[in-house]
Amino acid sequence: MKTEDQAWRDLQAHASAQLRAGFAERALRAARGPQDATWRQLNAHAARQLRPGFAERVLRAARAVAEVPSLSSQFALSAATAAFCLAAVIFVQDRSAQLADERNLADWERIVLSAQDAQDAPDNDSI
Amino acid sequence: MEPSSTTALADLVRRAQKGDENAQHELIMAYQHRVAGFVYAMTNRSDYVEDLSQQIFIKMVRAVDRLQAPAQFESWLFRLARNTCIDQLRRQKLRRIFLPFGEEHENIPEPAGAVDPEELDALRHALAQLRPQDRALLALVQEGRSHAEIAETLDTTVAAVKARLHRAREHLREHYQPDHEN
Repeated sequence: MKTEDQAWRDLQAHASAQLRAGFAERALRAARGPQDATWRQLNAHAARQLRPGFAERVLRAARAVAEVPSLSSQFALSAATAAFCLAAVIFVQDRSAQLADERNLADWERIVLSAQDAQDAPDNDSI
Repeated sequence: MEPSSTTALADLVRRAQKGDENAQHELIMAYQHRVAGFVYAMTNRSDYVEDLSQQIFIKMVRAVDRLQAPAQFESWLFRLARNTCIDQLRRQKLRRIFLPFGEEHENIPEPAGAVDPEELDALRHALAQLRPQDRALLALVQEGRSHAEIAETLDTTVAAVKARLHRAREHLREHYQPDHEN
């Protein structure tokens, strides 16, 4: 039968067999947190993702973006176009209403004149 | 390539503000690697680096003439970078809500052997566990920004930066396990 000490030693041996090689170094690294060299590796990896000619591509894209009219200028142009169309519709409507009035007036004048002529003319039946 | 002094940087920025393309080119060349590192730390995605860096520098070229203090260029640039990355992460999150099946397509693993010495892998893993704001904070510190500059970049106080930085470092250490099980 094992003594209590022996049992503890077995437990420790089993537990320590679970630790992979380099445990102490890993624990220390984790305790210290990432070092500057690791951050530099991260930055270097990121820098490698930029394809050659990055700056030229950015400037070309910036020029292209500048040539596209901004949202506000597009809105202003739409508003101006809408205002122009509205003014044109009002003008045409006003003008056609005026022409119709003139035509109607002329018709009425003609009718009035014909009526007056009819009134002034001698009554053929009475003769 | 980096502008050697604050005065040289301010001169370069002033020239860029006047539309001098050589100065704009020089600024991009000077900061592209640092911005790429910042984007990678923020997003943990190699395939975002070029695209987001490009967006950041396009914004820089278009808005640099509105920068009031050329000496504050670096803080301003990294604020642009931070906001661009956070917008991207928000869009990504929204896309996951509307297209939940796309998640496995979004978490594309790095190609084997492309990155990972053990510690870099651990750092990437630990950063991925943090909130984007904390990642930004740590990346800005690594950029060599002072607490005051970070406070200005993040629109907060130096005391708040210190407190948040302390917490972010604690969290990073908690998750930083070289040789972690993926």
